[in-house]
Amino acid sequence: MRNRLSFYIPRQSLIHDLNPLTKLALVFTFIIVAFSSSWYWLPTILFFFGLVPLSFIGKVGKAFLRTTFRLLLPLFIFLFVMQSLFYPGGVTPLLSLWIFSVKLEGVQFAYLTGTRILVMVSSFLVLLLTTHPSTLMSDLTRRGLPGALAYIITSTLQIIPQMQGKANTIIDAQRSRGLDTEGNLFKRAGALLPLVGPLVFGSLVDVEERAIAIEARAFNAPCKKTSLIEISDTGFETALRWFFLLLMLAAIGSRIWLS
Amino acid sequence: MAILTINNLTYQYPSSPQPALKDISLTLESGEFLAVIGANGAGKSSLCYTAAGFIPHFFRGELNGQVLIDGVDSSQSNLNELVLHAGLVFQNPFNQISGSKFTVYEEIAFGLENLGIAREEMKARIDEALALTNIADLGKRSPYALSGGQQQRVALASILVMQPKLLVLDEPTSQLDPIGTQEVFQVIRAMTKRGMTILMAEHKIEQVAEFADRVIALDAGEILLEGTPGEVLTSPLLPERGVGISRYTQVARRAQAMGLWSKQTHLPATLAQAVRGFGGADAAQEVNDAA
Amino acid sequence: MKLIDSIKKDFNTMTLVLIPVAIAINVVIGQIVVLLRLPVYLDSIGTVLVAVLCGPWAGALTGTLSNIIWGLIIDPNAFPWFPVALFIGFVAGWCAIGGLFKSWWKVVITGILIAFTAAIVSTPIAVYLYGGITASGSSFITAFLLQSGRDLVSAVLSTNFLVEPVDKIATALVAFAIIQGLSTRYISRFPRSENAAQEKGKRSTQLIIAIAVAVVLVVIAATVLVTMLG
Repeated sequence: MRNRLSFYIPRQSLIHDLNPLTKLALVFTFIIVAFSSSWYWLPTILFFFGLVPLSFIGKVGKAFLRTTFRLLLPLFIFLFVMQSLFYPGGVTPLLSLWIFSVKLEGVQFAYLTGTRILVMVSSFLVLLLTTHPSTLMSDLTRRGLPGALAYIITSTLQIIPQMQGKANTIIDAQRSRGLDTEGNLFKRAGALLPLVGPLVFGSLVDVEERAIAIEARAFNAPCKKTSLIEISDTGFETALRWFFLLLMLAAIGSRIWLS
Repeated sequence: MAILTINNLTYQYPSSPQPALKDISLTLESGEFLAVIGANGAGKSSLCYTAAGFIPHFFRGELNGQVLIDGVDSSQSNLNELVLHAGLVFQNPFNQISGSKFTVYEEIAFGLENLGIAREEMKARIDEALALTNIADLGKRSPYALSGGQQQRVALASILVMQPKLLVLDEPTSQLDPIGTQEVFQVIRAMTKRGMTILMAEHKIEQVAEFADRVIALDAGEILLEGTPGEVLTSPLLPERGVGISRYTQVARRAQAMGLWSKQTHLPATLAQAVRGFGGADAAQEVNDAA
Repeated sequence: MKLIDSIKKDFNTMTLVLIPVAIAINVVIGQIVVLLRLPVYLDSIGTVLVAVLCGPWAGALTGTLSNIIWGLIIDPNAFPWFPVALFIGFVAGWCAIGGLFKSWWKVVITGILIAFTAAIVSTPIAVYLYGGITASGSSFITAFLLQSGRDLVSAVLSTNFLVEPVDKIATALVAFAIIQGLSTRYISRFPRSENAAQEKGKRSTQLIIAIAVAVVLVVIAATVLVTMLG
């Protein structure tokens, strides 16, 4: 199990300096346009001429391509194999092998679905690679996101790697005591409880003290919270966000209107 | 001026058959350092939670008697108000990290952000707290990537920035290694020099002897002994009730049995007192005076 | 405003601190299950835990955030499935309020209700976003059903009805076992602790009822499925 807080890579770049909300608006614009447009090649164009250049302007291009590839390759293989063979509307066989035949419509469908998912996943990656989760949350809190929600998200981001670390320790410890994690299905199912038990109870016990600790620091104070982190935002970016909003509405509108 | 006044307090946790605190009365004056000792389960933590308002507000349960924290009646107030008057630091440093901040500097800001303090003042207060707790060099580190002693000082700084009148410390070093313990006590020493009012539960008797102006020994939720460190810490009642005694007291008591410590000399609780005690009658007189 | 009161009731400080732990439990147990190569997901145990102890709204939030955070740090493919997780938490919460989390056999019913909800909610997502084929093993069943002439929606729906119950009953049972292991004093800090108060009765009897109920429900589900597929 990999222990990692987030995808964020600290760099000095134009994209890093953008206000988090602007980037978030950009992400949703890409996704909504990709999914609502009926133009077959649009998601492909959005990826190669929109997201890839953005990632390089943000100086995270290599990590962007590598992560996109790693996250989506298994899904794409699955998607292409299954859809090209089993797509319900498939009528034009491209090649046949025994009882299987690859259909053109299946391949086309798999490509469109695949590129749309590509835009969805990789546009989020542009945001995540260039934005520290803490900056994102501070900015959203400043704009009215409830502090409790921001607290939950940022503290989850820190707890997960800790718990993964604990899980690895417990797995090692139980294996060295002879726990079988490799045997048949029943043995492996039986291994679940000795691994999960200590992990879950250990972390649940901490909940009470952690609640006391944040209450001691006025977590529930009724006044309006302030933020230590100063996040830049410009009039230009506000205009940009309005523009993205219009694009999104236009994309959704055209979708409804055309169908 | 009294910072903490407790009158005839009896408290029982919601699902517990007997009270955790029985008929406790005490006063803590401004600038005073009160130490609370006692065996495990004697009620030290419960008393700390009461002094910080978490009893009855967080733990609910049944509270009789009166608790005034910095003049505010605890039962009539709420936790959001009370944490402005009393700050709580407890054993486990790890669990006191808010979890929602990625650097020590931001972590210390957490309480101030919740209170809606302006950014400039926030920074000034954080810098002061960092200096006071001796962790100015850790500002950019993750609060999770620190030693126990460092984490506990971050916890202390996080409470101190909120500028409470009363600092409640519930065995702040019980889960730390010797170096961490030393680091934390250095900060506590600095706090006492600044005239901070402190209530500390502690089982390390040597430390209690060094810091406390006054000591309370709890036994099964009741006050067993109350007085100066010299009176309370050397009492033969303590080992009977499962409370540890200072190693210096122990050595002197042995020495007394062997005729090496005069029966007239008060038993020591600190190293300095022991040294003077073994140093001869003149020094012993001084120890008695001091105690 | 009854709705707002109902939502507010779910959230105290304990809830807010429990949710991150619950999400981490979802993620980490999900990963351990993959490591052990078990034929289930078990990635909503934390969600069910919060739903029972804190209520349906907190459960729904936990489920939603689980998927968002899974998407943020592990795999952005998890984002679009958040409605499934949301409804798992929501339904589990109402089941618990209705007293269906107080003994083994009632928990099995909760598990089945969660499973049906998950099956229904995930169908449109699988169909419209992924064309019915996702990167999970159960897609082979979908492919088989498609091959034998079913339409896409009913193929995906039947697959889900076949796959979900085992996973969600196991999830509910593990969550129940965890709650049984927590002290009453600890549970009492949460806003809906009364949901977790266990009914009196012999454990062995309850277990037999649980198994019987599970068998009956699975038979009913199978019949419904067969009729549905014609």
